[in-house]
Amino acid sequence: MRVNVQVLLLFSVFVVATCGLVYELVAGTLASYLLGDSVTQFSTIIGVYLFSMGIGSYLSRFFNKNLIAWFIQVEVLVAVVGGFSSTILFLLFDRVASFQIVLYMLVSLTGILVGLEIPLIMRILEDRFEFKELVSKVFTFDYIGALLASVIFPLLLVPHLGLLRTSYFFGLLNAGVALWLCFYFSKEIRWIYFLRASCAAAIVALVAGFVMSDRILAYTESLSYADKIIYSVQSPYQKIVLTKNDREFRLFLNGNLQFSSSDEYRYHEALVHPGLNSVQNPKKVLVLGGGDGLAVREILRYPGVQKIVLVDLDQAVTKLFASHEVLRNLNQQALLSRKVQVINTDAFQWLKNNQEQFDFVVIDFPDPANYAIGKLYSNTFYKVLRETIAPGGAAVIQATSPFVAPNAYWCVVNTLASCGFTTMPYHAHVPSFGDWGFVLASPEKKMHVNSQFLAQLRYLDGPTFEQMRTFPKDMPARQTEINKLNNQALVRYFEDEWASYIN
Amino acid sequence: MLRTGLKTVPTKTEEVEVVVIGGGVSGLSAARWLTQNSGAKVCLLELEDRTGGNSQSGQNAVSAFPWGAHYLPLPNNTNTELLKFLEEVQVITGYDAAGLPIYNEYHLCFDPEERLFINGYWQEGLVPNWSVPKPDLEQIDKFQALMEEMKEAKGEDGRFAFDIPLDKSSADATFRDLDKLTMQEWLYQQKLDSPYLRWYVEYCCLDDFGGTIEQVSAWAGIHYFAARKAQAANSDAHRVLTWPQGNHWLAERLRAQACPDIRTGSLVYNMEIQGKQVLIDYLDLATDQPTRLMAKKCVVATPHFVRERLLAKIPKEAGKQNSKAFTYAPWVVANLTLKQVPGGKGTPLSWDNVIYGSRSLGYVNAQQQSVKGFPEKQVITFYYPVADSSPTSRQAVFTRKQEDWAEVVLQELEKAHPSIRKEVEQLDVWVWGHGMIKPTPGFIWGEDREKAATPINGNIVFAHSDLSGISIFEEAFYQGIKAANQILKT
Repeated sequence: MRVNVQVLLLFSVFVVATCGLVYELVAGTLASYLLGDSVTQFSTIIGVYLFSMGIGSYLSRFFNKNLIAWFIQVEVLVAVVGGFSSTILFLLFDRVASFQIVLYMLVSLTGILVGLEIPLIMRILEDRFEFKELVSKVFTFDYIGALLASVIFPLLLVPHLGLLRTSYFFGLLNAGVALWLCFYFSKEIRWIYFLRASCAAAIVALVAGFVMSDRILAYTESLSYADKIIYSVQSPYQKIVLTKNDREFRLFLNGNLQFSSSDEYRYHEALVHPGLNSVQNPKKVLVLGGGDGLAVREILRYPGVQKIVLVDLDQAVTKLFASHEVLRNLNQQALLSRKVQVINTDAFQWLKNNQEQFDFVVIDFPDPANYAIGKLYSNTFYKVLRETIAPGGAAVIQATSPFVAPNAYWCVVNTLASCGFTTMPYHAHVPSFGDWGFVLASPEKKMHVNSQFLAQLRYLDGPTFEQMRTFPKDMPARQTEINKLNNQALVRYFEDEWASYIN
Repeated sequence: MLRTGLKTVPTKTEEVEVVVIGGGVSGLSAARWLTQNSGAKVCLLELEDRTGGNSQSGQNAVSAFPWGAHYLPLPNNTNTELLKFLEEVQVITGYDAAGLPIYNEYHLCFDPEERLFINGYWQEGLVPNWSVPKPDLEQIDKFQALMEEMKEAKGEDGRFAFDIPLDKSSADATFRDLDKLTMQEWLYQQKLDSPYLRWYVEYCCLDDFGGTIEQVSAWAGIHYFAARKAQAANSDAHRVLTWPQGNHWLAERLRAQACPDIRTGSLVYNMEIQGKQVLIDYLDLATDQPTRLMAKKCVVATPHFVRERLLAKIPKEAGKQNSKAFTYAPWVVANLTLKQVPGGKGTPLSWDNVIYGSRSLGYVNAQQQSVKGFPEKQVITFYYPVADSSPTSRQAVFTRKQEDWAEVVLQELEKAHPSIRKEVEQLDVWVWGHGMIKPTPGFIWGEDREKAATPINGNIVFAHSDLSGISIFEEAFYQGIKAANQILKT
């Protein structure tokens, strides 16, 4: 069936208009995702885009012959530029210094090409309609297309297709229109084979992009971060990302926030001092996990400590925190101290083979979000830990949020108790994390707490620690299973509780 | 050589009190029992270079891994001899106030224990439930309820209907008659025809017996589900004990407790009875030196098909055995070193990873018992029982090349891990021609098995899991002790 040429061209207007607006929305959304400050991003993107469309409209006057062929050519270009724009932006985001220049260049290019389309199509149609009818029809379809785009973009496209696939999808629509026109006007246009070939090539490339978009996304992951990424590296174990905004630095491991420079002192003071303060004459301290050196920084405040052994699996982390200027300043060069020995290996394996005893042990592992890490919170691990603590010594364990994941938190407490530890649960408010839990554990029958804290601390003092030991009415201690290698009860608690908190 | 018969009469002779032929689990168990309970001078002869029988293992730069049997379910609390052994080798570290064994948690299978790839998803546990239709789930529930009943069921004689060692099971005909049916026939009788349930039961039968539900007896099939009633102080009842090297870990510890005189690479080619003595002629394969052992007693701890040839000259044996009753399942075991086990939706890598609908038994993570959280590389052990054990099929098992088997292995794994090929760094295959005895209908409670276990002349006794009809560690361990006791009592 041969469609009426006017209908075909008006349909093209509709598709072109929808695609045009979608590209604009994609660019605006991406810019606000990646750069933050959505009001500014959206309004500058829309401004640049509309202005570029104006440039395109102006340039349309220089096209005098072969209008259909030019229109097809422009369509193919829009398809390719629009379709790949979001992917290019994603891939370049944390790799180029002036990301904004790339962003606005792409937006301008798309705008100019889209701006060419409507004038060209009006001129193609000028002999087929009366002027008033032409203007009326073209703009009607143009605006209907815009409405459709703006409604389906937030409701259907972003939630179901995602940004990358949305761009490819509309690129394919553009390219499809171009190909259709090629066949329809095959007798009337010059360089028909070249045009057909370029349509086909564009379609192949866009389909490939559409299919691969999941992998591209996994590769970039930039969407996970609210702030600007200033450092990003994939180690054998995790993705390490450092972001920055006006106020603070944030470190993410596999997308999970590890600390914010604005309040990490609360976390690390709460982690180290209650325990270390209470041990008589501590000389040797062991830190398991904590490759950021921030716990070590706190330990180094005790001049009597002569030796600190830090065992962290990931060399990329300990290297980063010993070399990156911002991070080195944050941990006050802790990892470069002569008292500190850094060992990059699996903590359980190391502890099992270790013969040396320590006066205090700081355990700062990631949350037990998977079975690999769950082993490091098991009763078997804690039994080995006991052997590592010198007489009169103690250990402290970070133990996730007792507010969000009470079963997980008390499971750590109960597991330690099942291994013969005397435990002292406490928690602190760390704004970036929320209410955070720790457990002080001692192999001795009784634990004595020294309420005199170092004067230089910013957060912790005697009365504050008294408060931290109190669990309010909505967070009482509970009975849980003991976390063992053969039941991984903690990972199950943790998964359930955090999943329901996030949803 | 055994088939054609070696004729040499050795000039070198030695006198020993007891000779154990066969260094698998039953032979080691017999040698251990004799050593622990008598001052007898025992000599153990093993054909292969290593003891352990089907409990073999290998080792590469990444991990140790099993080549055969690879786990021991928590033993029943009444199996005191096995519990005592486990205590001696510190698998059991003590008993709680209620008398329940406390197991060494390095050996209790780490969590997650099992997952099943079904309908595009890794569900936890092996009993199908992910996207399984409701009527099928109901049949599965019904089956499990029946098995729970069977677990508790006792015969008129007061014994459990199903127990381990299986000789302790009730003699009640109500239960023993189940040995006359196939597992499939029994399922039909119970109106259990769900394909999901049938797959699950078949998986279990292949796992322990190397046979399909059409091949193994209902008594054996139910035994799989109903015989294990362990209770532990620090574990759920269904856990298994496992080691990177599989049951070779146990076999090595049995060997350490057995007699010091263990001669591997020793081919026994002739046995005779001379007066009160048993003469055993063997060839040291490394030196080609034939030796005659003159023993007071002998434990034959070999599979049944080997014993026939060993005893060809013993008059009381010849023509007495119905060897056709002893059928075996060939097994193919592959070990793969992977850069990483590919991910997938659902439960992460577990100890036992099974693919629904596959004829293979899936794969086991050899590093499950490592405390290390993030191994650089991974070794998985893939199990494939060849259920069709007709002579032509058995022949085909052997004529296939390593590469052909590797292809079979990869194709099965691709069902759950389409990208596995690019992860593989090494793939080795081991073919077990006689992987395990199959408890076909009538075998376990028939006369052939009983006849095969009867000592000859009071000085040749038999020990092997073939004599139980079920190829599991507990039975081999028990058969060894039973044979040793037959010797000690005479």
